[in-house]
Amino acid sequence: MRGPCNNTMAFKRGFLGSLLVSLQSSKATMSLEERKRAIKSSADVAMATARGVAGARWPQAILSSSSSSPSKMQAKVKRCKNIVRRCCHKRRRDGNGTSFFARTALNRSTEVARRLVKKRTKVLRRMIPGGELLDEISLLHEAMDYVVHLHAEVDVLRLVSKALQRSNASSERFASTAQLKEGTVQVSGESENPC
Amino acid sequence: MSSRRSRSRQSGSSRITDEQISDLVSKLQDLLPEARLRSNDRMPSSRVLQETCDYIRNLHREVDDLSERLSELLATSDMSSAQAAIIRSLLM
Repeated sequence: MRGPCNNTMAFKRGFLGSLLVSLQSSKATMSLEERKRAIKSSADVAMATARGVAGARWPQAILSSSSSSPSKMQAKVKRCKNIVRRCCHKRRRDGNGTSFFARTALNRSTEVARRLVKKRTKVLRRMIPGGELLDEISLLHEAMDYVVHLHAEVDVLRLVSKALQRSNASSERFASTAQLKEGTVQVSGESENPC
Repeated sequence: MSSRRSRSRQSGSSRITDEQISDLVSKLQDLLPEARLRSNDRMPSSRVLQETCDYIRNLHREVDDLSERLSELLATSDMSSAQAAIIRSLLM
């Protein structure tokens, strides 16, 4: 597994840096939905960039699918992926059949268990960017890596959200205090200590 | 019995050992939030895969919710560089 706390911290910092840059350029003039989408895609790209493309597939998969993609491009990428998947799937089926998940299952090799594992592997592939093309071993590695970084992404997003909330709240209080001082606002009963 | 074949270098024919895979599945299990409750009990691999998918799905949903939250928070004003500096300092 990748290193413990150190790597996650470096990742978080890198992620936060990129995220803040894109947040600063998001305009308040956008609609709520537009800005949300922009934030999400910035977060994805930031996550992929902060992770770097060494040693995992999913960052590159994210970057490729998000680079300047109008929906036409995305449809194209999707089609390609489907085609590749069909080819790979065929190859896998013809292949040596040494698929662990076909051969065994940790809980005794019943047909049901095998089918379950196969089904869930398929689902897992879909959840990990770039997962469609991976063999089982790589898929498991990717899953571990992806999960760790997703979790870190959530941590940072929460942090930013809380910080913004506090910052908004205090600047609102400051603004209303300033207005009170100037006498432009009727006293609304809010008694705050001026900073 | 598992055959102790080492992983072949040839593309296509990967001699994967059972231990290798169960080792990976076990490591994956340790990353899952439920793992703390289960400590050393090994879950069947289908279960680990299920939990992993659920976990990823939850994380995706959290990202979605948080993005929405951030979008709301930024609705009133653009983020200033002062705010960005403060937030950044939280991780330093």
